[in-house]
Amino acid sequence: MVRLTLDRVTFWYPATKAPALRDVSLDVAAGEVVALVGTVGAGTSTLLLVAADLAPRVIGGRLEGRVHFEAPEEASGGRRIVLPTPWTQVSGMAFTVWDEVAFGPANLGWSREEIARHVDRALAKLGIAHLASREPAALSGGELQRVMIAGILAMDPGLLLLDEPTAELDPAGARILWQLVRELARGGAGVLVATSDSDAIPEFADRVIWLELGRVAAAGAPALVADEALCAAELGTTVADTWRMAGLAAPYPATVADAVRRWPAR
Amino acid sequence: MAGSLTPALRLETVSFSYGVVRALVDVSLALAPGERVALLGRNGAGKSTLMRLITGLIQPAGGTVWVGDWDTRHRTPEALARSGRVGCVFQHAEQQLFGRTVRDDVSFGPRVAGVPAPEATRRVERALRALELERHAEEHPYDLPPAFRKLAALAGAFALEPALLVLDEPTSGLDRALRMRVTRALLERSVAGVTVLVITHDLTFAAETVERALVLDSGRLMLDGPLPALLGDAARLESLGLALPPVAALSAALGLPGRPTRQVDAARALARVAAGRPVP
Repeated sequence: MVRLTLDRVTFWYPATKAPALRDVSLDVAAGEVVALVGTVGAGTSTLLLVAADLAPRVIGGRLEGRVHFEAPEEASGGRRIVLPTPWTQVSGMAFTVWDEVAFGPANLGWSREEIARHVDRALAKLGIAHLASREPAALSGGELQRVMIAGILAMDPGLLLLDEPTAELDPAGARILWQLVRELARGGAGVLVATSDSDAIPEFADRVIWLELGRVAAAGAPALVADEALCAAELGTTVADTWRMAGLAAPYPATVADAVRRWPAR
Repeated sequence: MAGSLTPALRLETVSFSYGVVRALVDVSLALAPGERVALLGRNGAGKSTLMRLITGLIQPAGGTVWVGDWDTRHRTPEALARSGRVGCVFQHAEQQLFGRTVRDDVSFGPRVAGVPAPEATRRVERALRALELERHAEEHPYDLPPAFRKLAALAGAFALEPALLVLDEPTSGLDRALRMRVTRALLERSVAGVTVLVITHDLTFAAETVERALVLDSGRLMLDGPLPALLGDAARLESLGLALPPVAALSAALGLPGRPTRQVDAARALARVAAGRPVP
């Protein structure tokens, strides 16, 4: 079974005095989707880099505490990150979208048939099979973001780390992505996702972790996104925030459906 | 400079293709001075292509793009920007800063446009203030989180003080507090007579910021009208690949009078209905 554990992790970027993460403990288990929220600079991206074993191993810096990742033996099933900047994640080695998505699986030592099967499936899941023969460099931002996510999915990750995966996506693309995240969790993967789209969290997350200045400020059920403190930090859902702005009593509804249940018939 | 009756932007039956892929087909529209407009549509609908045409980076295969009183066909992107007719911020502008400080970067436009030094300094100060970046002015852009670099890129376009501002996804990667900051800054510019065109998927931001919507689908302009009316029509939104944003959804689901689409209006209506008072 897949499990990621951070135990009292503090992390400094190279040549900085103030840590970007402070004493962070959390875990993500197989089959669950955990949402990371925080204002800009809170450390959500840093936390994903640490979880992906890119910080400090690749980008440098210093880490105190312990990061532990358990995964099954297969080459797939590892931890994979989708960066918030899809154009920096393009391999640059592929002339077509199909080859771009095949780049990761091809490096796992799979057979041609297995690679093709995974690539076709990932393209279909992201709704981009029609882009297969297009040139990655000629895609729109949203199309490219879907291609990058497909490339990671094609490797069958055990733990999927997503940083603002819907930043460039249109609503249909975002809906597909959040459904896919649920489907992966049902299939036994763990998912840790940083998102500023609080409104989407109730529909896809099992748990929410709120980071503030590098620390875990609160953690709990998805209803946390309607919490007074989160709303005060501008991280609540739009519905909760509107409720609060209207001066209506807490607890605030997180979603439109919650609001309808709370609203007496008039 | 263009007179105030000249549209800030006018497209006449504009078409463009990338090889065999038709990106824009017969698009016509005009934006008046001071108007705030969102350009909406699915991924790949042609939004960024339209932006490249407006900024003169590409030329229309058919039709004409007028930026103020200039036909872009006879102008370079640099000349368009320097003339003060258009200022733009591309989608990944936070990756394109090169100044040693935020202030340096924001100053680049006015300096290259040949704005005299004292006036350039005033413009840079105004731009930094509009986006509340004074505190970060002396920092290196790459020491700041990407969201602040994005604001710095916006400030760079503001500092040119163009008649038309074109922004591609100005809120991606921004949290709500920063999105509201961008909204405030754009409302201010618009009051000063600047035309604002934002390309966005963020209908919550659009609802707070603009009054008119243009929707592209498969390269065609499918809709040109008031944004609140579009946000009140869930079926139309769906057919255009857009989704009902939460405030409009809340207004519709609770039957709030006037179906407000801006958050502050919805909150006011909620408060009044909850208190049993009539909603004006």
